[in-house]
Amino acid sequence: MDLGFSKSEKLLVESASGFLTKEATGIFRDTERSEAGYSERLWHKMAQLGWMGILFPEQYGGMDGNFLELILLLEEMGKALVPGPFISTIIGGCGIMRYGTERQKEDILPKLTAGRQVIIPCFIAPEPAAGAAKMKDQVSLREGQYLLSATRLFIPYAESADGFLFETRTQAGKTLFLISSKTPGIICRPFETLAADKQCEVVLDRVSVPPTNIVGSEGQGAAIKNEIELWGALCESAYILGLLEKVLEMAVNHAKIREQFGRPIGTFQAIQHQCADMVSDIDKLKFLTYQAAWKLSENIPAGREIHMAKARASDASRRVTLLGIKIHGGVGITQEYDLQFYFRRAKAAETAFGDGDFHREFVARSLGL
Amino acid sequence: MDFKFTAQEERFRQEVQEFFLQEEKDVSAAREEWDSGQGFGPHSWAIIRKIGSKGWLCPTWPKKYGGLELSFIYRYIIMEQMHRFLNWFSTVGAGMAGPVILNRGSQEQKENYLPRIAGGEIEFALGYTEPDAGSDMASLIIDADDKGDHFIISGSKLFNTRAHFAQYYWLGARTAETKPAHRGISLFIVDLKSPGINVSPIWTVGGRRTNAVYFDNVRVPREALVGEKNRGFYYIMEAVDFERISTVGGLERDFDELLAYVKAHRLGQNPLTRQKLAELAIEIESAKLLALKAAWMLDRRRLPNYEAAMLKMVVSEMEQDFVYTAMQIIGPCAQVKRGSEWAPSNGKYEWRYRDSLEELVTRGTSEIMRNIIAQRGLKLPRA
Repeated sequence: MDLGFSKSEKLLVESASGFLTKEATGIFRDTERSEAGYSERLWHKMAQLGWMGILFPEQYGGMDGNFLELILLLEEMGKALVPGPFISTIIGGCGIMRYGTERQKEDILPKLTAGRQVIIPCFIAPEPAAGAAKMKDQVSLREGQYLLSATRLFIPYAESADGFLFETRTQAGKTLFLISSKTPGIICRPFETLAADKQCEVVLDRVSVPPTNIVGSEGQGAAIKNEIELWGALCESAYILGLLEKVLEMAVNHAKIREQFGRPIGTFQAIQHQCADMVSDIDKLKFLTYQAAWKLSENIPAGREIHMAKARASDASRRVTLLGIKIHGGVGITQEYDLQFYFRRAKAAETAFGDGDFHREFVARSLGL
Repeated sequence: MDFKFTAQEERFRQEVQEFFLQEEKDVSAAREEWDSGQGFGPHSWAIIRKIGSKGWLCPTWPKKYGGLELSFIYRYIIMEQMHRFLNWFSTVGAGMAGPVILNRGSQEQKENYLPRIAGGEIEFALGYTEPDAGSDMASLIIDADDKGDHFIISGSKLFNTRAHFAQYYWLGARTAETKPAHRGISLFIVDLKSPGINVSPIWTVGGRRTNAVYFDNVRVPREALVGEKNRGFYYIMEAVDFERISTVGGLERDFDELLAYVKAHRLGQNPLTRQKLAELAIEIESAKLLALKAAWMLDRRRLPNYEAAMLKMVVSEMEQDFVYTAMQIIGPCAQVKRGSEWAPSNGKYEWRYRDSLEELVTRGTSEIMRNIIAQRGLKLPRA
């Protein structure tokens, strides 16, 4: 049992933190107004540090690292509120690494680890309102090619994607496809969302995909998709963890210097107790997240632990950011101050890969209910 | 990072668990005694002595004082099983008085008390709280008058829970009028049979006995003073972080029982019930990790002070969530007292609803814990 960082983990965290402080402080403010929604310059620097390759074998230009190292990076990225398709690309790439053909891996992974390939899982299908017509995926096989028509929603940074992972039902069952974003018939329409995080509607209109682009076997798609989404939930938990740690830091610093009634507001128990609740929420989330990542790194089944972590992360994201806003008072709700970016981004992260209710249901199943 | 026990630790965990399973008769009788609210009865003393004779009450202590010189993770492993089987996981002697005697006591005190504490032969009543000194412990006023070769103690204590079955008192008393008040407190080991001590019962809403204790010119020899005079508060603070180390062994057992009840009565299809049980499972798991972290920190010679406060707060508040949720899920029958055929789990929830309140306020309320977390953990300024 060792609940502290190893030397190499400590080094990783320190270097990531130093790098992001230098290169990414306040970056979310500029990228929010940019077309891509994230900084490609920062993206390439992260790639140079090997971050894109952290999970991948050396033969594909990766670092041969593990999930624990990945989530430590993501925690630091959450603190800096780094925008971009990092989580999507890592979990998508990881799906290809585990289940893809050798050719798919050689096509995608070296570029991915070099920062020249953005892979986006494209999984959320629209749920029609009661009474409305259900939009069904259209799948046909013509001259040895699949023709796919479908709509997917809330796909982050879809406009920047080089490839999509798309799951639908073929005759053999649910199947996962790797689709190049250059394929004719793909339309991406970004939503204007709360966190301005470039979530898109992706429409496939008779998109032609060869069977060689199937990832895994036909009929295996749902299982692979579930696994990718679990990794996503864990990654998002780590990002939320960092995000909340930064919010706490801002709140505590503010409480120490802001004076009212002739003394720092941090001397008031009302404020102290809110800060204590924030750090308790964060510490609980921290070790749930670390434990889940450690299990994945050790190849121990971690589904239940990931569901626990994301349920906790999703609920804590709201509680902690809200307390952060309250402690800051007026300045906390101004556009000029950074906190509102964290508050809005926390909501997007809460929803991504399932909210608290969603993940608690899976915890309930793991209890045999 | 590494979240698993070593093979050796895992073997030890199994050994401890097997011990409690083998001692099933004494163990369940001891738990019955404890849950009745009377404190330690004959079965409790029997099982404590057995635990003590294995060196498991104070496993981190030096061997010459009855310990095993093991790391704190072993203490955690034992505490977790004790919590699960007995509903308590340490004694005041092993958890609070002992560590101070070990660090600050005289050689004579060490030799006299430590082996008997570690062996499970004696227990201490914790004597900090007074009618006007609760959360503000430093304002205690019970008077210890220095007469040279002895002290004369006069005054009263409140909520000293073990005073009716312990042999000794671990007493904080005022030896100087100082400002700030905490600089005039000393610690004493007082024989509870000393003439002039009058123990009077107070019953909690949970049916548990605690006491008001009156000291009428009680003569205490100078050798009973622990460490230096007027340094007692500092010694108490040193030890208090050990006291707040806890486990969720008891809650895990209770949760398993509730889960079995839900399954047996086919209540598990209700989405609200599923959500609530899942949330409890997540809470318990996260608290367990905090408990492990505290043990791990002690093994690294880092004192978990804000972490211990957080753990105490989290576990005691979670216990409230547990009984509240259990009663919601079970429905109106959960309010029926034991003895009725309509009382699920023999009235356990009716009782736990009352009895669990004690954990919220004993050893520092949640609000005091939040003060500690904010001031020591986050370095927020004091008023």
